[in-house]
Amino acid sequence: MHKVAEVEVQHDIMVANRKLARKNQRILDKDRVFAVDVVGAIGSGKTSLIEAIIDAVDYQIGVIAGDVISKYDAGRFEKHGVPVVGLNTGKECHLDAHLVEHALHDLPLKDIDVLFIENVGNLICPVDFDLGSHMRMVVISVTEGDDTVEKHPLIFQDADLVIINKVDLADAVGADSDKMVSDVAEINSEVQVIKTSLKTGNGFNEVIEAINGFINEN
Amino acid sequence: MHELSMAQAIVDTVIDAAEKNNAIEVVEVTIEVGMLTMLNPEQLKFLLDVIVEETILKNAEIIIEDVPVEIDCRGCEFTGLANTDGSDHYLAIVVCPECGERNVEVLTGKECNVKTIKIEKSDEDA
Repeated sequence: MHKVAEVEVQHDIMVANRKLARKNQRILDKDRVFAVDVVGAIGSGKTSLIEAIIDAVDYQIGVIAGDVISKYDAGRFEKHGVPVVGLNTGKECHLDAHLVEHALHDLPLKDIDVLFIENVGNLICPVDFDLGSHMRMVVISVTEGDDTVEKHPLIFQDADLVIINKVDLADAVGADSDKMVSDVAEINSEVQVIKTSLKTGNGFNEVIEAINGFINEN
Repeated sequence: MHELSMAQAIVDTVIDAAEKNNAIEVVEVTIEVGMLTMLNPEQLKFLLDVIVEETILKNAEIIIEDVPVEIDCRGCEFTGLANTDGSDHYLAIVVCPECGERNVEVLTGKECNVKTIKIEKSDEDA
């Protein structure tokens, strides 16, 4: 006959990730690196947007390219002559603070002003995982359907900047981009929403200005 | 599919606590999952049942408790349970029940907490 005992554990897995995220932010702050967590749907234009920003700004950019298989996006960023670390998540659907910490050690942080952390294309799982970045930019596009925002509200609730991309295709796919903007405002009344088309350049300067605003505030 | 990595982290936490307390078997595990996490309790339970095989908690009953969303409203200073749009676990959009404000500080509802375990100890350790 064995005795049964109740043991109080109280170990929150989410808190463990948040602690690691805070550690990441300290690592970044030590070298004065401003980090942007870029999350968004698959094919919404996250990689293209970061590439365009790299070419447009005069500060030093570094990139962490997170993906199930990261070499494709990492290869694209390398062509722009910036330091890149690819993070393979394998079967996982998101980056977490622990993975990002490893990548930070592989980057020349002293030479980087702004670090873009491109998350896995997913509007669900990254919600749970703070990475230690200074801002979170959510990128979606009209081609995913104009109900994308209302179907994935939580990712917008904590967003600092929302980009609705590929607006030049809205008519072709029958999407109402204004509805997407108002859906975001309904969930998060404070966040700035910018409609962009990387093809026409529409809205792109606003994105740069918005990010600069956050950098200057930090 | 981050339920799998969360399930693994839960199992690691339980094994660690069980070993520290000289358990010979874990009979019950209680986990709190906040309604604002992107975790599906049913999927989490299924995966836990799968990955506990060959571990000290292979026969444990897994209890998952939902944690409701409590807020501190930045609009009207209300503190307490939030209205959550729709009762669906995944779509718990947080709204202040007093003033309808969505700009709120979330106090609870984002956790995935291994709360307690019940363990069997041998008579010598008991």
